Amino acid sequence: MKRRTLLAGGGVLLAAATLGGWRLMPGSRQPLLLSARDDADGRHQAVGYRLDGGRAFATPVAERCHDVVPHPHLPLALFVGRRPSRESYLIDTRDGRLLQTLATPADRHFYGHGVFHAGGEWFYGTENDTREPGRGVIGVYRLQAQRLQRVAEHPSHGIGPHQLLWMPDGETLVVANGGIRTEADSREKMNLDAMEPSLVLLHRDGRLLAKERLPEPMNSVRHLAVASDGTVVSGQQYEGGPQDAVPLLAIKRPGQPFRAFPLGETQRRAMNQYTASVAIHNELRLLAVTAPRGNRVLIWSLDSAELRLDAPLADCAGVAAIAEGFVVSSGQSRCRLYDCRRARIETRHLALPAGLWDNHLRLA
Amino acid sequence: MFRTTPLLLVLTGLLLGACTPKEPHLQTSIALSDGVLLPAYGAWTEADRQLAASALAFCAGNEDLQQARQSFLAAQGSWAALQPLLIGPLAGGNLAWQVQFWPDKKNLVARQVESLLQQKPQLTQDDLDQASVVVQGLSAYEYLLFDAGLNLADATQRQRYCPLLIAVGKHQQTLSAEIHQQWQGEAGMAAQLNKFPNSRYAEAKEAVADILRAEVDALDGLKKKLGTPLGRQSKGVPQPLQAEAWRSQATLANLAASLATAERLWLGVKQDGLRSLLGSERDELARRLDQAFGDSRERLAAPQRPLDQLLADKAGRDQLGALYDSLDRLHRLHERELAKALGIQLGFNAHDGD
Repeated sequence: MKRRTLLAGGGVLLAAATLGGWRLMPGSRQPLLLSARDDADGRHQAVGYRLDGGRAFATPVAERCHDVVPHPHLPLALFVGRRPSRESYLIDTRDGRLLQTLATPADRHFYGHGVFHAGGEWFYGTENDTREPGRGVIGVYRLQAQRLQRVAEHPSHGIGPHQLLWMPDGETLVVANGGIRTEADSREKMNLDAMEPSLVLLHRDGRLLAKERLPEPMNSVRHLAVASDGTVVSGQQYEGGPQDAVPLLAIKRPGQPFRAFPLGETQRRAMNQYTASVAIHNELRLLAVTAPRGNRVLIWSLDSAELRLDAPLADCAGVAAIAEGFVVSSGQSRCRLYDCRRARIETRHLALPAGLWDNHLRLA
Repeated sequence: MFRTTPLLLVLTGLLLGACTPKEPHLQTSIALSDGVLLPAYGAWTEADRQLAASALAFCAGNEDLQQARQSFLAAQGSWAALQPLLIGPLAGGNLAWQVQFWPDKKNLVARQVESLLQQKPQLTQDDLDQASVVVQGLSAYEYLLFDAGLNLADATQRQRYCPLLIAVGKHQQTLSAEIHQQWQGEAGMAAQLNKFPNSRYAEAKEAVADILRAEVDALDGLKKKLGTPLGRQSKGVPQPLQAEAWRSQATLANLAASLATAERLWLGVKQDGLRSLLGSERDELARRLDQAFGDSRERLAAPQRPLDQLLADKAGRDQLGALYDSLDRLHRLHERELAKALGIQLGFNAHDGD
């Protein structure tokens, strides 16, 4: 089989035997998949499922959430409100109990992402200063007795910050400033003719360490993955026309500038100017990206940029690394596991409920 | 004494297999793939083959402008008919922009055609294949044959524009033939709608969901294609030059072609479409969908005037407004009620991500 055919076919499929009856790592404890999800009537939920399909919890929440931030050592996770929500939900991941509905101040709203510091005491989330719409801030929250309290904030040094993650030192934040100005209670983009996306490195005490930009001002830097060696990859969403050929992934290798990740034209075009989630597999040195407008799951070698998988998956959403490879969710289809341990990537259909999975997933 | 032979066992197995009713989603997926999708991709490929031949014949002086326009309208109509069927290789490769560039708010088609020919007066096929999607498709072809500022009946103008006309025709022929090929064969898209699981779909229901989603997207697209010239996105001020296919005055004909395909997905060729998946307890919903299709179809067939004339007076705008509302009802019935009744998630990350 030609390599191209293999890629187009989405790798090797493990057929009937993997449906329903398949179990991940038999005998071992299943990882807990955390995600925002809707029920069939469109009501929002914070859910946790074991990868074999067993439901840990499905907690109704008032507002749609975006990313989920598991606590580093307690059975807690914050389901972060999606722009322009002012609410996030602190959930006990053992039983789904809602411990706290966390609200921003009146003149702030969440952007859907955040991180817990490794010590477990501090949470940092991207927020909008709605008095000065688009001015990005990093809200600083302290966890005490299973409650988060906002204690400070730092500028994100950019407009419309979206995802933020830790660099390997655990003290430096990398922030994707999407560059798009929006007001309170609105998702209307106000500055498409004057966008300022950037990638910022920020010490968690607020000190700006670096700020870099891509050449295309309408290429919104939105999602991030950080490898254990400090390589940062960003996924973009391009706000210009469909006819523009713009790279939608960028990479900052240690000590090097932030620049386009080399993409094949077929994959660039197929992404349809939009990437959703980005994940890195540290042991296998792989990069995975979901492109729901193109309905594609793409995997590359992080070091050589060689394409390893280009597979169709309708409305693909969250992606996270697991020992075997990557787990990918979908708003429409069954969740997939891409086993990347051999040269041929194998696709397995997971026994999780199909569809309605929102943009991001985390494994705890 | 009766002895069971292996042959008898095999025959019995085959008979039983033949008698076992297929799982409904599998049945629908196969019926729509073979009865609606594959034939429509075939028809599009054939129309593009004829388009490429027409461009050559017209430029060689063996066809008149009227005939060339007819070939174009046939190709554009077959593309419009394909709109509810954009699943598989064409959609996955995001290749639709190469076939038609719409919306075109800034008249990029005219500007880029002229600028390309200025830079490349002796345009080759390779030049076009490397050029922007704006000039590779039917929108550029339409500009050449229908724009009021051009007249390709004139020999001098033909000389200037024919290399582009021929190259676009060829580009479309090649593209559609490649896509059609990817639908066929053992690992083709049609096969992936016939046998599950496969590398695209975990089960037949995923395939039906993909088909329904493409249909719902297309119905939403019909609203945009009518709503844009009607001024629904511009404070009610009509925008006739923002319509799809405004130069060839085929906007409404294109809508009708797309709607007809959507209705074929609903009914199926042999009453085996999406409608057949609704149990008898859903008769009422099925009837409402039948009526909604009929209402939109009749309203689309009613106008005796082209879109720009309808937009010019109140009676015409009211007629179009009522058509828009009818399409809106049809779209919502699919999105809200049919999808739910079929237990299908239409997904939201593609449309409503962050």
